[in-house]
Amino acid sequence: MSDINEKISAFYDGELSAIEVDDLLNIIQKDKKLQKKLSSFSIIEMAINTDYKKSNSIDIFKNKKSSVFKNIWLTHSVTAAASVLLTLTFLNNTDFSRMNISSDSAEKIASAISSVEAQNMAKNSEEYLADHIMQVVNNPKYMQSKNPIDLKNIGYEKNIQDGYNFSKGNEHFQIRIEKRNFGLNKIRYWKHEKKMIYLIPLGDGRVITIYGKLSLKSAMNIADSLIN
Amino acid sequence: MKKTSNDIDSELIKKAKEGNIGAFNFLMNKYYPRVYASLFSFTKSKEDSEDLAQQTFIKVWEQIQTFRGDSAFFTWVYRIAINLAKNFVSSSSYKKQRINTSIEHSDIEISSFADLESLVIHDQHMIKIKDFVSTLPESLKTAFTLREAEGKSYEEISIITNTPIGTVRSRIFRARESIIEYINTELLNNE
Repeated sequence: MSDINEKISAFYDGELSAIEVDDLLNIIQKDKKLQKKLSSFSIIEMAINTDYKKSNSIDIFKNKKSSVFKNIWLTHSVTAAASVLLTLTFLNNTDFSRMNISSDSAEKIASAISSVEAQNMAKNSEEYLADHIMQVVNNPKYMQSKNPIDLKNIGYEKNIQDGYNFSKGNEHFQIRIEKRNFGLNKIRYWKHEKKMIYLIPLGDGRVITIYGKLSLKSAMNIADSLIN
Repeated sequence: MKKTSNDIDSELIKKAKEGNIGAFNFLMNKYYPRVYASLFSFTKSKEDSEDLAQQTFIKVWEQIQTFRGDSAFFTWVYRIAINLAKNFVSSSSYKKQRINTSIEHSDIEISSFADLESLVIHDQHMIKIKDFVSTLPESLKTAFTLREAEGKSYEEISIITNTPIGTVRSRIFRARESIIEYINTELLNNE
């Protein structure tokens, strides 16, 4: 029995020969205990690769030095419902890791506001946001932005052959600009394996997504340079 | 050549499309906890999350032929789950729909394990699992961490640790078994 368990462990890691796979699948299908073991492996993977310690969002309105945040309230074409929504988005960041999502922000917003319009807007925003993040981490082509982004003025070189990466020293990342703002009025960021995902609203209805190895400060500098 | 999680999924999806319920079952058990966790964060209800997770995998089974592999499998599953959750929020007839659909799809059995579900919705339990890994014997911890956190193949781990591949496989398995034992004795018994 331990041999079959070890085989499941190896198969979970993609390390079992094709010949053994079909037999194994048949055995698992008939055995609830083995199915449970498989789900346990998945939970262990979730535990190892997800940072469950929640970190607070950065209140961009406190950072008066950065022009990223200038007039963000004034430039948003907000409806009355959206105003309600925006004042309530003091949310913890969520952590996405290996396709696992532990977002509870949609629920928090929905329960916090009574306006049906605002609730719908919140739900849609969070859903699009979740979709967007899933694309960032799972679809390599998604971050190959064709936008003519130039960051030479702040020292970043672009290398199209290398997955449209920008780099400077130890910092390597990809960047993409969205015309929709996902309802964001603050920077939100997540850790995905060893990379960071930053979503930074530019104040003109656009949001930039930066995915890679770089600090929050660098991400903010980049955003700043894009609107100057 | 090293197989990624997506490569493994692709092989299973191909088999599932050919009607191999075992392959589908493997995918379902692999992703059920993540789907459940995502749905719970949305609904904050264990019962609703379980219903929606089951409904999700019924839909996945129904629509697996349409999955083209443009995105990762879980991305696709996740979208189905979130769309169902969204409809659930706005529809009071959800439960009636679920019962009807379940009856029509008796060819697949949706497994759910209530005790495991309770783990993924408690962050503190997940943190304890992660902490427990650091208490594993060094040889198990090294092999397991290289695999699970660093994504190394057994061959790569074998080279790094100067250990035969069979030993690597055994150590990773033993590490998992130790963690499961810890879960069963320390976390699930303390519910």
